Amino acid sequence: MLGVLGPVLYLDNAATTPLAPEVRAAMLPYLEEHFGNPSSRHTLGVGAARALEAARAQVARATGVRPEQVVFTSGGTEANNLAVLGLARAQARHGRHVLIGPTEHPCVRDSARALTEEGFELESLRLDARGALDLEHAATRLRHDTVLVAQMLVNNEFGTIYPLARLARLVRANAPQARLHVDAVQAMGKVEVSLGELGAHSLALGGHKFHGPKGTGALVLAEGVRPRPLVFGGEQERGLRSGTENVAGLVGLGQACELVEAGFSRARAAFAERRAELVAELARVPGAELLEPGGRASVAPAICSLLLPGAPAEAWQHHLEARGVFTSVGSACQAKKGGLSPALLALGLDEERARRVLRISFSRHTSAADVRAGVDALAAVARELTA
Amino acid sequence: MSEAATQAGQVVLARYGELWLKGRNRVDFERALMRNAGVALRSIDPQARVEREHGLMVVHPTRRVHDVARRLEQLFGVASLSVARSAPSERDPIAAVAHELLRESLEGFSRERPVRFRVKTQRADKRFPMTSPELDRFVADGMPLDLVPRIRVDLSRPELELGIHVRTGTSYVFAQRTGGAGGLPVGTVGRAVVLLSGGIDSPVAAWMTMKRGCEAVLLSFHSRPWVGEGFERKVERIARSLARWQPRTRLVLAPLAEIQIKIKETAPPPYRTVLYRRMMQRIAGLLAREERAGAVVTGESLGQVASQTLENLALIEAAGDLPVLRPLIGFDKPETIALARRIGTFELSIENEPDCCTVFQPERPIIHGKRADCEAAEAALDVEALVTAAFAARRTLDVGPD
Repeated sequence: MLGVLGPVLYLDNAATTPLAPEVRAAMLPYLEEHFGNPSSRHTLGVGAARALEAARAQVARATGVRPEQVVFTSGGTEANNLAVLGLARAQARHGRHVLIGPTEHPCVRDSARALTEEGFELESLRLDARGALDLEHAATRLRHDTVLVAQMLVNNEFGTIYPLARLARLVRANAPQARLHVDAVQAMGKVEVSLGELGAHSLALGGHKFHGPKGTGALVLAEGVRPRPLVFGGEQERGLRSGTENVAGLVGLGQACELVEAGFSRARAAFAERRAELVAELARVPGAELLEPGGRASVAPAICSLLLPGAPAEAWQHHLEARGVFTSVGSACQAKKGGLSPALLALGLDEERARRVLRISFSRHTSAADVRAGVDALAAVARELTA
Repeated sequence: MSEAATQAGQVVLARYGELWLKGRNRVDFERALMRNAGVALRSIDPQARVEREHGLMVVHPTRRVHDVARRLEQLFGVASLSVARSAPSERDPIAAVAHELLRESLEGFSRERPVRFRVKTQRADKRFPMTSPELDRFVADGMPLDLVPRIRVDLSRPELELGIHVRTGTSYVFAQRTGGAGGLPVGTVGRAVVLLSGGIDSPVAAWMTMKRGCEAVLLSFHSRPWVGEGFERKVERIARSLARWQPRTRLVLAPLAEIQIKIKETAPPPYRTVLYRRMMQRIAGLLAREERAGAVVTGESLGQVASQTLENLALIEAAGDLPVLRPLIGFDKPETIALARRIGTFELSIENEPDCCTVFQPERPIIHGKRADCEAAEAALDVEALVTAAFAARRTLDVGPD
């Protein structure tokens, strides 16, 4: 790939991904001649409405629901906000207890925190010693007045796949009033993301994590589940998200979902191969260790969390960048907040070690040569930093 | 264990058990069922294998086994369904799989009290060395110790039943049984033209037609340019929603405005609605001939609107030469609505979109129409030319499920 500064090896796909050419092509007509407002009754409007409908069907197919169950949003953050705030408020007559996962993204964590100002009681689930979700503990925290459980499917910092289907059974058995919301933003394209398979009431997606455009996302709802809206106005999206739809962007989101569906098994195999190659090559970087919280079989291979020796990950990141290799320290969203990642601390890493964690994340287009080149750069930086 | 690993070896069992079916009928039924299942699964798992094993359809998904099962819940001809795990047909592996499934199933029950439980074996392979009750007991007796306090055997009122199908080679173990769509596989009982409006009733009538194995060809009328493209879009969405229930769904849209204008010009206003409908009936007849359909189906029921009287229904039916079926004839509106919700068309039907009737509706439609009056009104029209022209201007769409 060619960046503004020359050739670039982009290994930060968990932060964002480049737009797929097919997605761009699908979007262009809606940025140009097909500019209609989907609410208009004339042909230009109906055309836009049809395009949205097709996109909705694409998202629905990828997540195993009917099109009517898809609510378009401006991204994963809004989808998660709508779920956490909207579902808790809609269920408030049944109780005010809210449980969130131990390593949630700030858009879930901080939304849940905001609920405490409305009188909700907030508790966190926890990880066990292996870094897996502690389901025994979860079973004891679920209550009859629990109205919301929010748990991510794939961790954005180290790739752990959480056992949502099992958590869903526990929730249904022990907290019959609770809605189970799944942040699947990081999961899409990496593992199966089906509302029914997970047994959840809602799940959030963000288009730019799987080669769709930024500014697009969706909240997928189980039948009969209706959050209180956060945005009011023209009653678009069945009144759940007012505002004239981002037609071009959502067409792109739909196309990106279709590409995920079409290439899913291929992508999954490629991710597994890349990770195996990384594991093999990593021997060339003495002291580097791949973190696999919850065990190897429970980590999405596309997200590789490296505990590096010596210098803080920040130094590694910028030395790598100088060689044209883009990675990240913690998540991009965490980076903006300064501070250490609570998720890494939840794993039981001490502060010093948590500062030495670097994230490398693949896309379905990352090649074996890319992995080799990435490790070449890591090995070279290792020599520089220890010199 | 990862979520993906737990899916391995899972199948969906679909029981059809219309035991009265014999001989040739049964073969046709099974063939249609398997063919329809294959089409239905195309959008989820095109690689899924569909097999028939004495009286049971077994689907082997390559992914998303629960989504596959939910899709098959919409397959007419299936009486009930279970997601099952396979095990080699020997007692120890069967018991091991049964215990694993029990452990998982118990997660779905509150821990506050023991779960009433039983095992129920059915043997298709009578050469299996244990009887069914012996295998039931073997599975129950070998229960892992930590599960023992969570269950209480209750043969008469179980909350959780582990079913075991012992078969040659591979056996199946399952914990849940969900209701299928019932009915007969679409395509086994011919074809009918269904008049589809934008309302709540006609999609339900179409669904009931399909349910009894009859393929529904959907016919709808629009009044462009008196209404916009939005109405057609609405009908197309309803058709796509119905397409989940039959493998091939054809939607035909014919223009009605010309006919409506002519009737409005010449006929007494109270008769307009009946006359429009007589014209629709004739166009439906033309379509039926082309599609080799044996009946016309409508969403009419008795007395729901003032004009749905026996006299008017008879007048409308008399315009065509095919039998008119009215599956909703005895339904109250709330019953139709409940069914529309279940089918998935209700939300689409209630979207506000002007249709072909709204524009040309008379203020006071006739309640007890008379045949002579109808025929007198139609004498002023070139009925055949109008009908032929509308039919020739139709648009045909083959829609897939969304």
